[in-house]
Amino acid sequence: MADPAVVSGSLNSRSGGSKAVAGPAENYVLARRRTLQVVVSSLLTENGYESAEKAAVESLTEMMQSYITEIGRCAKAYCEHTARITPTLPDVVVTLIEMGFNVDTLPVYAKRSQRMVITAPPITNAPVVAKALSTGQKRSHPSHIPSYFPEFPDPHTYIKTPTFREPVSEYQVVREKAASQRRDVERALTRFMAKTGETQSLFKDDLTTFPLIAPRPSTIPYLSALLPSELELQALEETDSSEQDDQTDSENNPNNIVSDDPGADKENSVLPSGGVVPTVKSSEENVIDNPYLRPVKKPKVRRKK
Amino acid sequence: MNRKKDKGFESPRKSVIGYVELTIFPTVVNLNRIKLNSKQCRIYRVRVNDLEAPFIYNDPTLEVCHHESKQRNLNYFSSAYTAAVTAVDPDAGNGELCIKVPSELWKQGDEMKVLKVYIEFSLDQPKGGLHFVVPNVEGSMAERGAHIFSFGNQNSTRFWFPCVDSYSELCTWKLEFTVDASMVAVSCGDLLETVYTHDMRKKTFHYMLPIPTAAPNISLAVGPFEILVDPYMHEVTHFCLPQLLPLLKHSMSFLHEIFEFYEEILTCRYPYACFKTVFVDEAYMQVSAYASMSIFSTNLLHSAMIIDQTPLTRRCLAQALAQQFFGCFISRMSWADEWVLKGISGYIYGLYLKKTFGVNEYRHWIKEELDKIVEYELKMGGVLLHPTFCGVKEKDNPTPHLHFSIKHPHTLSWEYYKMFQCKAHLVMRLIENRISMEFMLQVFNKLLSLASTASSQKYQSHMWSQMLVSTSSFLKSISNVSGKDIGPLIKQWVDQSAVVKFYGSFAFNRKRNVLELEIRQDYTSSGTQKYVGPIKVTVQELDGSFNHTLQIEENSLKHDIPCHSKSRRNKKKKIPLMNGEEVDMDLSAMDADSPLLWIRIDPDMSILRKVEFEQADFMWQYQLRYERDVVAQVEAISALERYPTPASRLALTDILEQEQCFYRVRIQACFCLAKIANAMVSTWTGPPAMKSLFTRMFCCKTCPNIVKTNNFINFQSYFLQKTMPVAMALLRDVQNLCPKEVLNFILDLIKYNDNRKNKFSDNYYRAELIDALTNSLTPAISISNEVRTVDNLNADVRLILEEITRFLNMEKLLPSYRNTITVSCLRAVRMLQKNGHIPSDPGLFKSYAEYGHFVDVRVAALEAVVDYTRVDRSSEDLQWLLDMVHNDPTHYIRHKILSMLCKNPPFTKAEAADSSLCNEALVDQLWKLMNSGTSQDWRLRCDAVNLYYTLFGLMRPSCLPLPELGLVLNLKEKKAVLNPTIKPESGGRFESRSDEEDIDMDTVHDSQAFIYHQLNMLERPSTPGESPHQHHHHHHEHKKKKKKHKHKHKHKHKHESKDKEKERDARGFSNSPASGHSLRSPSLSD
Repeated sequence: MADPAVVSGSLNSRSGGSKAVAGPAENYVLARRRTLQVVVSSLLTENGYESAEKAAVESLTEMMQSYITEIGRCAKAYCEHTARITPTLPDVVVTLIEMGFNVDTLPVYAKRSQRMVITAPPITNAPVVAKALSTGQKRSHPSHIPSYFPEFPDPHTYIKTPTFREPVSEYQVVREKAASQRRDVERALTRFMAKTGETQSLFKDDLTTFPLIAPRPSTIPYLSALLPSELELQALEETDSSEQDDQTDSENNPNNIVSDDPGADKENSVLPSGGVVPTVKSSEENVIDNPYLRPVKKPKVRRKK
Repeated sequence: MNRKKDKGFESPRKSVIGYVELTIFPTVVNLNRIKLNSKQCRIYRVRVNDLEAPFIYNDPTLEVCHHESKQRNLNYFSSAYTAAVTAVDPDAGNGELCIKVPSELWKQGDEMKVLKVYIEFSLDQPKGGLHFVVPNVEGSMAERGAHIFSFGNQNSTRFWFPCVDSYSELCTWKLEFTVDASMVAVSCGDLLETVYTHDMRKKTFHYMLPIPTAAPNISLAVGPFEILVDPYMHEVTHFCLPQLLPLLKHSMSFLHEIFEFYEEILTCRYPYACFKTVFVDEAYMQVSAYASMSIFSTNLLHSAMIIDQTPLTRRCLAQALAQQFFGCFISRMSWADEWVLKGISGYIYGLYLKKTFGVNEYRHWIKEELDKIVEYELKMGGVLLHPTFCGVKEKDNPTPHLHFSIKHPHTLSWEYYKMFQCKAHLVMRLIENRISMEFMLQVFNKLLSLASTASSQKYQSHMWSQMLVSTSSFLKSISNVSGKDIGPLIKQWVDQSAVVKFYGSFAFNRKRNVLELEIRQDYTSSGTQKYVGPIKVTVQELDGSFNHTLQIEENSLKHDIPCHSKSRRNKKKKIPLMNGEEVDMDLSAMDADSPLLWIRIDPDMSILRKVEFEQADFMWQYQLRYERDVVAQVEAISALERYPTPASRLALTDILEQEQCFYRVRIQACFCLAKIANAMVSTWTGPPAMKSLFTRMFCCKTCPNIVKTNNFINFQSYFLQKTMPVAMALLRDVQNLCPKEVLNFILDLIKYNDNRKNKFSDNYYRAELIDALTNSLTPAISISNEVRTVDNLNADVRLILEEITRFLNMEKLLPSYRNTITVSCLRAVRMLQKNGHIPSDPGLFKSYAEYGHFVDVRVAALEAVVDYTRVDRSSEDLQWLLDMVHNDPTHYIRHKILSMLCKNPPFTKAEAADSSLCNEALVDQLWKLMNSGTSQDWRLRCDAVNLYYTLFGLMRPSCLPLPELGLVLNLKEKKAVLNPTIKPESGGRFESRSDEEDIDMDTVHDSQAFIYHQLNMLERPSTPGESPHQHHHHHHEHKKKKKKHKHKHKHKHKHESKDKEKERDARGFSNSPASGHSLRSPSLSD
């Protein structure tokens, strides 16, 4: 009887069958399948075929395999239904009946005269299911459980399994690693930039050992030189987020303040009171009278004269 | 007098159109000629009381000496230049623009009625006075961040509108500016309103400045500024360029504290109704103060992450604000009184430093400033604060040692002027020492309150002169307030130049228990003067610290000072210090016979002096360890450089470790320790100096080779952490190489530098680590004439180069604040070149020096090119630099190139004969540069003069072909110098002589007449027809007119007018008949 697990394994292995090196499990499965093929072929011969396309034989083999597999699956189900672990003949019989097979014809068929005898498949050891993870000690049954009951599942299914290696927590190594990692990244990045753009060199004969990215004049050079880069801003946010808050409030837009009072109030209430910005400011904001904030006047009509 | 202007700006064409209206109250009869200052303005028409008035425009400073002159010596140039500046000096009643009052009004003038002078002018691509910054990108002017601002050295307002460009001519102002609707015009005074023009595409800003203000204190800035109203003081408004608002908010967040401080100590409110700060790009100076506004360099702005820039920016703001009170609000009577204003503003700025940064910082600063002025005066000759010019003769020149005249701010070397300001505030401090700070502040308060009373009066009340400070009025206030006579002090430091140089030594007389102190003076070498008077000496003995006041007299060198304590070093007792503290000392190092621990001469720095004092090394060590005054500690450290002993090493190391010690002292100790270690190299034991100390302070406990992740929250240790590697890199082993251990240590610091957890930016720290690498470089062992290639690179240098390459490249991707890292890398590359590790080549620097890089980077790159020019004697690169002086759009860079060339000249006077660079072409080029090429910038012209002096000296450059003998002889006698040029015009000489005889203001008039005649041919009258008459008249009236000018200061009336602004159409002017005649005369000599 074919074990369902094994069969499914065989299906898998077929898809990957082209692999040059096959493990013992694959060998086992392949041997079984070859036997099945021989069986199909002999049955065909028995029925008077002289030749068959490979694909046809393959299909028939497939059909036969799934038929047998189904029988095995059902038989096992029947047996387990009755709280046993090993299927018996009646299980198989019931299965066959269930599948609409006339069991009575089986002995006659088995004893037919023209049947061909094929050699038994080579005895290969059923593959040992590789333990997925070897963790812990497999537990044996406690005394109150009879030995015929299934074994405990692999320990990794029910106990905590450390799936990573011991991390390197040594400070020195971490710093070392971070430093060299950053250096490598920077080096690679700058080298890449240097390769993709214009470069300068300190040596006339060698342009590649110390490539310097050529400086490009900027139209507004002070912006990049004065404004903190986004990276720095991010870092700052991480270290101290409260500092950033005073940069988000807007106060120089008179229209906002005049026309949008509730909005402004709301914004003020969001501002942390403990920040650098004095709390007085927000309430006084409405009364700031600065000539630069006043709206621009329309020209007087009399000027048109 | 009241002025108002209207201006229309056109950024793409960089032009300005405007008009000025002055209201003049004549106080003398027959006022028929009005002289104003105006440079580079194209004047279209002048009207006096609605009558067209003829005018002459004549600027002798455009070209100081004329084409035909083959004179090439600096003496000649300086006197001609001084004469030219005098000829247009508003304080002497002169000006470039001479307006003839129409004869119809003469009668009215006799009745002393109001004259209204109306001048229409335009400026096209001005080279001075106004600076246009127009980034060359797509987008509207506002999007591009294009802006304009006024600038200049001293009185330079004449560059952008006609005015009486004098600090002593006050008037009220009404200013109107019409600019594009996307722009903001910031100017002096209160913004009354902003009105759209009819087409709604432009805005007119109306300003009113009711406080009488001198024209040089008027400024303007126009740009698409972001506006920030100060959250603490709503009358203060800050302006910055687009996108910088967050930085502006942070940088300005403490300005109110400075305000409060000054108002409190001066017990006087800020005199103007509002204050504006404007931050502009390509600024001429970091700080320039004008009435009710200040213009700053945008590079002063910083974010909260930047440590190093913060105190610098605060200092700049404090300086600017101090000048608002003294300099803008209170102006000066004449140039000779400048020192009072600079002195007071510098002094109260010092008080601010003391309050904000602490007494240590203040004393350290005073010490630095004192050292600076002493060094300058000893090297270059004296700095005279209050020059008095009594005679015409050159031999009466109060500063014969200088190659420029100090008669005018515009003839001064920039370096000299900086030292002048430095000395001025130090002298104020000396006055404070004499009369106490309380009286000092009372004097200031008195000056301010008088001025503010005067400012609210009408002109007719004759009160406005109270707003002008003069040396005599200041001294009178001091004597009134304090009742003390500070005459000798003023005579010594203000009326006289130079500093004092003391040499001190001592011996201890055990029998008499007396300290025999000998103080000698050097008053013969240049820049020194003799000091007679009291001097304080502090003696630290075992029993305590004692002050003695000695009298320095003519002949007494020795002074006996009785000691209080017997030597008794075996008794264990705490030793009392000056500040009352009692400390345990290890006295084993002492001389057993003497109770003296250390001696200090003039500990309070109450004399402008240099002291070279000799005492034993252990005394210096005690002084370093136990004297609590930072100045004493600093002095001890510099003295210990001479004593490379284990004891000095220990004292310095202890100071380094002491956290209570002032951080600047500790920083200085680092460098001293490096020097000592180098001197002791053969006997040095243990790890390299400072290494274990650094490890202990900044490295991880578990792995001492790895530096902790950065945390700069403690600024003292931050500065120390920055400095120690730089000092360590100066260490040298027996082969005079930087020890491998040190280099690796620095490389590790760079490698393990981790700023991720830090609240502050580490850009300055990383830059200093690169500086450390630079310091570690030593000259390559060179096989003769070997070409430097990558293959024969020294292994250590390869590592250094690797770091520099990486840093420099990373900077392109993640630029650091103010590109500090690029700056350090450029310096490092130059050092590698200089030491022969890599081929010497200026190409890299030239590309970084181009316009469009951040200014600090450009300066660093230019410095490298200047250095290259000197080392490799490359005439091509010198030419490149001089071309940049001619063409660069940034005034600061042009100034900087020249001053760097002066500091690190391609050759000096002595080397001139051998240098291939020194040739006739260069002489001609430099001559042209100072003669006519720099007429739009006073500062730059003086820089050019300095360079000329550095290269060729005062006399005719040796590389020129010998002139006719007669000419050479003429050069020596200064009066005769004039002869060659006046040769064609004997009449001119005659007249100037006659002036000399009967007019008291000879100095001015002599040169004035000289200039007039010299420039005769250049004058271009407003209307050709009137020209001969005008000219003739001018000669005729010469004497009479001068007398009138003498009275002009006192009597000219001024009042406010309420005229309406009138729009002017630009095109209307270009067709004006007079437009072609008024300007740019020198080229017209055809």
